[in-house]
Formats: sequence, structure tokens, C-alpha cells
Amino acid sequence: MSNGNGSGNPQYDVVIVGAGVSGNLIAKQLGLAGKKVLILEAGPAVPDSREQYMENFYLALAKTPESPYPSLAGRTGPGVGTLPNPSVIPTPRATVLSIGGKPDVSHLIQSETAGVSGTTPDNQPEVRQLQFSSTYDRIGGGTAWHWLGSVPRLVPHDLTMKTTYDVFYDWPIEYSEMQRLWGLAESEIGVAASVAQQQPLQAAIGMTYPPGYQYPMGPIPSSVVDQTVSNGVSGMSVPGEGSEGGKEYSVFVTNTPAGRNSEPYQDRRVCAGNTNCIPICPIQAKWDPTVTLGDALNTGNVTVSYQSVATNIAVDGNNVTQIDYLQWSYDANGNLQSTPASVTGKIYVAACHAIENAKLLLLSNDQEGIANKSDQVGRNLMDHVLYLAWALAPAPVWGYRGPLATGGIESLRDGEFRTNRAAFRMEIGNEGWNFACGDPYTTTLDFVTGTNGSQLNPGATRLGGTALAMTLNDRLTRQFRFGLLLEQAPQADNCVTIDKNNTDGLGIPRPHVDYGLDKYTLEGFRVAADTCSAIFQQMGAQEFTQPTVNPYPPDKKPGPGDFNYEGKMYHMYGAGHIMGTHRMGTDPCTSVVDATQKSHDVQNLWIVGSGSFPTVATANPTLTIMALAFKSAEAITAALGA
Amino acid sequence: MRKFATITLLVLAVACKKETPATDTTASTDTTSSTATTATTTTTATTTSTAPPPPAIVLSANIPGDVQEGSIPPGSDRNQKFAIAQGDFDIYSWNTFIALNWPPGPDGKGDPKKTIGQNGDNDTVWEHYRDVADVFLPGGAVPTWNGPEPNVPPECKADYTPGERIITQVGKTPNVLTVSEFSQPFNTGPLIDQNGVYTRYEILVNKPMFDYILSNTLYSKAGQKVFSGAVKFPCGVLGGAEGAIMVKSSWMVIDPSEKARFHTANVLVYTPASTNPKYAASCSKKMVGLVGLHVGHKTNLAPQWLWSTFEHVDNVPTEEEVASGKLKTKYNYYNPKCTSTDCPPNKVPPRPWNPTQVAAFHSQIVRMNMFKGGSEFAFTSAAKHNAEALKLLVGVNTNSVWKNYELVSTMWPTSPGNGLCTADPQFPLGEPAPSYLANTTLETYIQGPPLAPNVSSNCIECHNNATMTTPVHSDFTYVLQRAK
Amino acid sequence: MTTTPSTGGPSDSVVQDFADMSAALTGFQSSFLRPFLDPTNLSEVFYNFAVAQVGQTAMDDLLNAFRAIQKEPAQKIADTLLEVKIPTGKESSQAQIAQAIILMWYLGSWYTPAYQTANNQPGQVLQVISSQAYTKSLVWNVAQAHPMGFSAFTFGYWSQPPAGLNTFGVNTGGGQ
Repeated sequence: MSNGNGSGNPQYDVVIVGAGVSGNLIAKQLGLAGKKVLILEAGPAVPDSREQYMENFYLALAKTPESPYPSLAGRTGPGVGTLPNPSVIPTPRATVLSIGGKPDVSHLIQSETAGVSGTTPDNQPEVRQLQFSSTYDRIGGGTAWHWLGSVPRLVPHDLTMKTTYDVFYDWPIEYSEMQRLWGLAESEIGVAASVAQQQPLQAAIGMTYPPGYQYPMGPIPSSVVDQTVSNGVSGMSVPGEGSEGGKEYSVFVTNTPAGRNSEPYQDRRVCAGNTNCIPICPIQAKWDPTVTLGDALNTGNVTVSYQSVATNIAVDGNNVTQIDYLQWSYDANGNLQSTPASVTGKIYVAACHAIENAKLLLLSNDQEGIANKSDQVGRNLMDHVLYLAWALAPAPVWGYRGPLATGGIESLRDGEFRTNRAAFRMEIGNEGWNFACGDPYTTTLDFVTGTNGSQLNPGATRLGGTALAMTLNDRLTRQFRFGLLLEQAPQADNCVTIDKNNTDGLGIPRPHVDYGLDKYTLEGFRVAADTCSAIFQQMGAQEFTQPTVNPYPPDKKPGPGDFNYEGKMYHMYGAGHIMGTHRMGTDPCTSVVDATQKSHDVQNLWIVGSGSFPTVATANPTLTIMALAFKSAEAITAALGA
Repeated sequence: MRKFATITLLVLAVACKKETPATDTTASTDTTSSTATTATTTTTATTTSTAPPPPAIVLSANIPGDVQEGSIPPGSDRNQKFAIAQGDFDIYSWNTFIALNWPPGPDGKGDPKKTIGQNGDNDTVWEHYRDVADVFLPGGAVPTWNGPEPNVPPECKADYTPGERIITQVGKTPNVLTVSEFSQPFNTGPLIDQNGVYTRYEILVNKPMFDYILSNTLYSKAGQKVFSGAVKFPCGVLGGAEGAIMVKSSWMVIDPSEKARFHTANVLVYTPASTNPKYAASCSKKMVGLVGLHVGHKTNLAPQWLWSTFEHVDNVPTEEEVASGKLKTKYNYYNPKCTSTDCPPNKVPPRPWNPTQVAAFHSQIVRMNMFKGGSEFAFTSAAKHNAEALKLLVGVNTNSVWKNYELVSTMWPTSPGNGLCTADPQFPLGEPAPSYLANTTLETYIQGPPLAPNVSSNCIECHNNATMTTPVHSDFTYVLQRAK
Repeated sequence: MTTTPSTGGPSDSVVQDFADMSAALTGFQSSFLRPFLDPTNLSEVFYNFAVAQVGQTAMDDLLNAFRAIQKEPAQKIADTLLEVKIPTGKESSQAQIAQAIILMWYLGSWYTPAYQTANNQPGQVLQVISSQAYTKSLVWNVAQAHPMGFSAFTFGYWSQPPAGLNTFGVNTGGGQ
């Protein structure tokens, strides 16, 4: 790649860092408008086919979200394989297998132990030193290679938490504007849903659509699991709490809008229920950012430079002058080589997801940081904290079939309780106890070798033949789980900073993460757990959730993700939704970007992605990430002029 | 599962009803010696007069309605079983290729008074099948089997004479076609020849397939919406009904001086307009040479269809040939003078993909070995039967253009069901053999390595995902998606 | 240009015995594990893999133990070879090899038998045997589903209950 020539003529109209959801969408829109775009992508190129990725997945011992993708662990060698050491590879990133690991395993420098329960200075309960447990990838196409594909919209109150519930912040965007942008995103992705099926949510949580709005494709059919839960909760409600005593929240199942094909669309195949959305759809029935990238490249105005890691956004006053980066490769002897380079544009876009965006901004300008007069860059790191509950239904529900999720309980996503505690979205899993305990492997091992990892073989029985098959059939076909996405409060001390001691293979400092849960989310957790137990009871299902309902066996110590709250032990997961680190707002003193994701402080810099979310509510973020990217593309195109 | 005894009886019963197709040949000199050659591989050659001759490649205009299965001696091991079984299907494929490429009479069927290649090149039966562009018409209009193309693009009208062929497709690339046969944009792409010109494709359906589409109103979106039940194309029967056949051909623009080595056609090469990348529609008259031929055929013994694929012998080197340096001087899609550093093999051309321009990028394609790791029998059988077919074809005329084509392999379901067009629910895909199969002109970029199930080219696995414009399973064909 | 067929290796009858034993151990129909024409040839692949892990002698001993009782009902064969009546942790190494064979078929992976591990604990995975071993692994059939990442079913199938277990190759009856 060429160097910035310093002559004042930028080499490109726009330079984008990151070939993911946002970066590819903005590149496509700009390319269609005739603008010249360069995308700097840290990782390797999009492969010509997904054969290698699928083979990686098939051979992976631990089929985590990262398992198909390059520089992966757990695939070869004896035992569970070796995890790559982030300090020697060029594009380390957070992975599931490295949660709770030391710096020779975990890219994020953070806590290695169980959460520590304590109180804040004003005597509120909190948990600190939790591992931030959501992960991301640094490859052509980005993290959303392994997104689930669920695209429920936010509800109106999600954008007005301050005005409505006097907590946190309002989004600086009207709901009607988001509706316009979601429509664009739903068309780009190809969303399968029915407005009519979402109708009961209007009364429940205020979900509305513009009159006459139609989704691009008809809905994905509900699974037998969805139908069973739906029948099981028929007529059920949960009571409000505290000041809401007397109010009842109806519990019912709704089909989940999905970014996967229910008819041929964009010349991609129809969903065949491979039950593998995470980590990879073998037939690309689920949209992923490489689709949009292909369109971007077809404009003839977009170039991608792979294996190009941005190291510094150089500024002169409030103007970006160039982006410095390292072009890396491995030589014939397998040694990592890198060459410094830089590139210039009229406008620059940081689109490398919430943690790497924050890292890049904080590293820039000799680690003084840029675009950070608000002191909010890296702060307010949020996830959808995930509570997992699992059970055996009284009769078969036949999980392990269909997309990973086709339905959920959305009716508890809003209410007056949000003044005091987090709301949650309940996702119904179609994959049995795969997420919950690594099934069907764990239960199979239990009944063949006489162990009890699944809690289903307390008698250490060993079986074979038809007896084994029938026993496993009985257990596996009755397994199901809920995954509850809890909204998290924005907290200044949940933050990404630059670690002083650890660098990656290119010598770039790595992110240090401090993370925990405040009372708002902890209370949500408590209610989430109770709600799941109530639903299981209503359904006649036998709950197995560890450690909340079924304690860990005595020999197991609490580990990463475990914490105590009010005498109960919980385990939290990351939902894979990394948000908040460069939040948007109208006030430059308290926010990093404006409603179009333009930096308040640097006039030709956009910082895009879920890092811009000021609050996170309970909807999966990818739809809104793309919606905001459309808005950014419009603003950038206007800023470039004719 | 192949219930062998029953099927053999079925074959015998059918064969006794009419003259054995294998002997119903026109005057060709070498058939008896070649059938004698194939007969040695099937060890239970019967001597009774009611037994049919073992399967053999013959010069005949009769399209086989199904595979003819020879018998497998008891005690055969896996290699021996597959040598025989794969051989039967490769023989079926060659007989199908010969019959489909037979010169047609006025009724469109192969003319028994003529022989394939007797004058070098010839018009063919399959080129009178119906192009899908004329089956799935704008506005969902009712198609007809005969007659000139009703769907003549305006850009072609100046050069068009009624009956002239228009070929349109450029690769399985979504941005050129409204609907593409192959729905993986990131791992399909155009195939660009040594002159920077895009390879073109055609898809055609035979009359039984056309009739099924017509009578069930599957030629339009509206018609597909009201269709109820399962899509079930008619099955071919050995010695009986033809069954549904779909053909996909790939064509390279050639200079007339090369025509002796190809089956050629003078066609209008049409490129529809595109918004991204942006270019206007265009149409020009070209001579094109056939470089690849897929034949999909639904039969009683293959409710998952039989998949035969042929290539021009000059298309590409194999990976073994590249490794050993034993290369020809010229290939259709490989430059032997370009190193693997400068021309890494099997890379998708860079976007934007614009077929109206001569591309700087030339595809450098290598045939990967998709049969290793358990399907080696496919390789052996193809080589053997290619040699037999070659001898037959050259025996007609040493200048037969058809000597320049070879069978890559045949994919067939090893556990196809009850032998009467119904799949075994235990094996919905029929357990295909070989495990992977690709035509380097049509599945260029999914040949591996690595060979990954559900991704690397497997005709049946991929076509099992085919639906109509509604998500209803379309019985292993993607053509119904084209309805408007 | 030709690939030479493998010479040596087990005879067809040995592979068939291995398949029949596997059928009894796994509770699947033998004709499902090893159809008359077997493209993926997992029986031979698994046989060879297991021999490489436990040695030819141990495999021969196990197969001979199977042959001695192969006319018995399938469940009895399984229970005998797996020594299900012996308390967990005390079963013989031969029984543990039988367990590992079940796990190959069910999970597509080799789990080192406890007797070969340093801490005598079962369930330690060595590797996924191959991608085809995974896409044809059988625990998903037992669940009336399909391996995650490989579905031969079509759109919407998940909204209906699946077909019966015997459609998935399971031997649901008593005999073989």
C-alpha cells in the first residue's frame, strides 16, 4: 500500500478501518455514490469459499463461535489443543476459550477469577472483577460471520430511558428515524418476519411499525420448542414488583425476525435448518457482511487492504491527517513480518468494533488519545449479560433442529420496573443443551463412560446398544434452554483502557478491561432467574440450571463468570454484544459521537458500530448497527459534497 | 439401499419386453468389440438367451431411461463393488452423452439415419431442449415448447434471426442474473478465459421436465404460490419413459480457426444491463465452443437424480500434472507459462465482475483431486470408460469433435430407495458416490482443498437445498427459482 | 495420474464384523452403519483408527469376544462387551475400547480410553476423526435431528415433529 504523500491530495475520499458490518455497509453506500473508498482490514481476506472455515469447524474440539475462523485454537493436537498466544500473533482477539485466561492466552487483559461481590461507596451491591465475556473476530467480514441472525427491533422506550424512566441516557435519534433506518437495514440483510405476528407486542412493550410496512420475506416457521413453550405459558403472567405491585406482565412467545432466508434472496439459498448459525452457516442462508462487501467491491470504487492493522489515527488539531498502519505477513520460514505504511483520505471511519475502536482511539496521538474530550472513549463498556437456564420438558420438544433460535418471549422487555432494574429479552434456544452443557457430547459421554457432567446420570450408569440409544433419545429430545439478554447499565468504571504491560505480535498494546455488574443489572439477573424457574414450573419442566438452581458439585470451585448475589450463585455469559465504548449523544462533554456517529471533537472522523450505543436495551444489536451505518453513510456522503 | 437381487430381476424383466437397446445400433463397426471389452468386468455374464448383455457404451440415439445395473458377484470387496457399480453409471453417462449429442431429426429426437460426429460436428438433441429463459418468462407468461425464443432482448433484435440461439448466463454470479443457479456469491464467480472473456452458460430442460412445469403452472411465481403438495418430476425408466432431464452447458468464445476441436455454435451472446456493477445491456454474435456439459436426470433408481458431467479435454491440468510438470502447451483455462506465485490457481476473479469488458484477469484453473480418501474408484472408472468411448467416437470419424470430451464422473445415490422413484427416508440424500464431484467450468471454486461436507461440490447435497420462489423443496432443481 | 488403491488393510469380512459389532454396541442397524455400497466407508476408517490407537491385538481380542456371542440378541452383546454390570471405573480395558468405539460412531471423535490416560479418567478427546466422521456422527440420529452444520432436511422441517427413530437407523426392537 502506498504512503500518504503529504501533498494535500488525499489518496481516497474515505478510509475505513474494519471490514465488518458497519465498514462494509458504509463502503457500499459510498461506492454506489461514486466515492473512492479504502478499507483497512486487520485480518486475512475473505476466502473464495467457506470450505476451510467449515472444515475448521468440523474438526474443532470445542465448537465455539471463533472455531471456524483463522488463528483458532482447539482444533489439533492432543487433548483440547493449544490456544494461540496473543503476544506473538498479529491480530489477537477475544475468544470464548480464552475467557478467564492469563495474558498468554487472553487478548483482553482482565480478571482471571470469579467475580467479587461487594458494595459501592453509597452502599449498593455490585460485582467487580468479572471477565468481559463477549468475543469478536478480526477477519475480512468481521465478527458478524458468526452472528445469530436475530433482528428484533428496539422498542420506543429503549431510546428514551432518561425521559421515560429517569435512568441513563436518551438516544439522540427519534424512533421514527430509527424505523426508517431499520427498514433499510432489513432490506440489505434480507429479514424474514411478519408484522402481523409482532402485533401482540404493541400492547405489551410498545412495538410499532410504520403503517403498511412489510418485511422483505415471510417469517421463519416456529420450532416445536417454540410451540411447546408457547402452549406451556398460555395464560401466564408475572407480577410487577415494588411500586408496580398489582400489575401483571403477560408471558407469551413471539416469532423472532431473522436475517436468514425464507425464500431465495440475493441469490442465496433458503434456510435448511443446519442449526449452526453460530458459528457459521454452511450455505449462507444467513446474511453475513461478506455479502455487502461483495456489493461494495462491485461498485469499482472500493478497495480492501487486508492484513493491514491500523496503529494510529494522526490528527492535526481537530482534523485527521492520515492513518498509520502495519502491513503484516508471514515469510517463507513462518516468521511474522510487518511494514509500516500510511494512507490519507478526506474522511476517516473507525469501524473495528467497540473494543478495538476504543483501543485505537486511545492509542492514537502517541497514546494521548483522540476524539476524547468527553473522557468517555472506552468507558461504559456494556454487554447483554446473558443468563442461561435449562430444563427437561415432560415430553419431547425435539431440539437440535432448525435455526439456533426462532422464537422468544419479548413481552418482558419493557415496563416501569426499568426505573429500578434491568429488563430482559428471552431467547428460546432450539439447540437442546448444546450451549448449556456441551451436549449432545456431555450426556453421551455420561451414559457411555459412566460420568455425570450433564447431571442426567447421577447413578454413574453405563449403557450400550438400543438401551443407550433409547435413553439418550429420551433425554436429548426433551432438552431445551432459555437465554436471557439482560440490559446493562452504562458504568464509567466498566471500561477499556490501554494495558501497560502486554502487547501483541506486532508490538501493539492490548486492551485492558475492567468490568462488573451494578445493582440495576444484578436485580435484573435475580428476576430473570426467578422468571425462568416460574416458566419451567408452569410447563412441568424439570430445571437443571447450574449453579442457580442445581448447585455445582462439591469439588467444583467458582470460576470465571461466577458470582454471588444475595446468597445465590449465578453464572453469567456474554451474549457476544459489545457496546457502549464511544457512545452517541448531543452533548460533546458526555458523549463521543453525534447521532450520525461523527466525532464531536474531530471534524472528519466517524466512529461507528455498537460502541455508539448510549444504552443497550434488550435487542440483539446487529440490526441497529447496520441501521446507524446507513445514517453515517448518508452524513459522510453529504459531507463529501458532489 | 441397493436391493440387488430385486433390481436385477427388474432389469431382466424389462429387457425381455423389447429389443435390448444395446444391440439396436446403426451401422457402426466397433461396437461388438467394445461390448466384449466391458463384458469382462462383469463376471456373471449369463449364457441364456433371455439375459440382457452387460452394460456397455454404445453408439445409439436412444437416451437411457435409467442406469442399467450389471451384477456384482457375491464376496466382492468394496473396491470391486464400486468398480462395477460406478462403471455402470459411467456407462449410463456416456450413453446419455452420445444420445443427447446425436444429430436430431425433425421431431427433435435423435435421427436413426445419422451418427454422432459422422461429419465432424453436428447439431444436437439437447440443443433443441427448452432454454429456461424461455420457460420462465417475464410476467410469468405461459411458455411454449416449440417456436422461436419469445424473450428476445431488445439489444439482440438487430442481429436476431428466428430460431437463433441466445445465450445469456455469465457464471453463477448473482449480479448479472436475476436469479442464479448457484447461490453462494462469495465462492462462485465468473470463469474468465485466456483472452479475458467471460465463459457463458445455458440451462435447458427436456420435454417431460417442461411438461411437468407447464401442467403444474410452476413457470410463474403466482402459479408456484398456489401449488400444493410436493414437487415431483417424472422419473425415467430403463427401456421406458425418458424422465426429467436438465442440461447445463458452458461455452467459451472461440476463434473460428479453433472450431475443429470443439462442438461449436453460432449464438448471440447477451449480457443484460446491470446496476452494480454498472453497465448497459449488450448483444453480439459469436462462435462459441462447448467446454462443459452437466446432465441431471431423474430416474426410478435415482429419485435424487443422476448427475453426469463432461468437460473439454483441453480445459485444465490436474493437480498431479501441475505438480509433476507434465503440462500441455495450451489449455482453455490455464496458462502453463505462469507460475503458481504469479497465477495462484483457482482464485475467484477480483470484483467488479463486468462481462462486457475484456478482463485483465485470466482464470488459472486446476482440477483438484476430489476422489482421494475413499472415492478413487471414480477416477479409475472414468478413465476406463473415457478410453472406451473415445474409441467408439473416433471409430465413426477420426475428426469427430466429440473425441475432445471426457467424462469427469457420475454422481449417483448408492441407497436410492425402492427403485420406483421414491427415496428411502433413512437416506434422504441417497448416500451419494463419489463423495464429491465438480466440473472445473461450473463448480470452479469449490473443489477443495480442504474437501468439506456441505460446502465442497456435491451435486446432490447442494441441489437438495433447491426451492421454488416459495421455500418449497423443488425436487433437486434450481430452475424453478427463476419464475417471475 | 492414477491413485493406487490401498493394499493391505483389513479384509472385507473383518470390516463387516467390526460393523456388526458396532451395530450391536451402538444400537443401530448394521445395514445402516455399513450399507451394501458404502461411499464414506466409515467402518473401515474407524477400524483402522481404533487399531492405530489400541493395537491390533486388542482389536482382535475384542472382535473375537464379539464373534463368540454374535448370535445373541444385540442388547445382550452390547451389555456383555461393555460389562455394564461391573461398577464404573472397574470395567476392563477391553470394555473401555468398546466404549471408545461407540463414541467414534456417536460423536465422530476418538476419546482416549481411561486405561490409556495418565489419570485413568475417561472422556478426554484426542481428535475429531474426520469431517465426514462428524457429519455422519450418530448421536444426532438418536436425537432425531442432524449434526449441527449438516442438515439434509429442507426449509420448515423444524416446525413439525421428526420421523420415528427407526427412520434414523436406530434399532428400536430387541433383535438384530
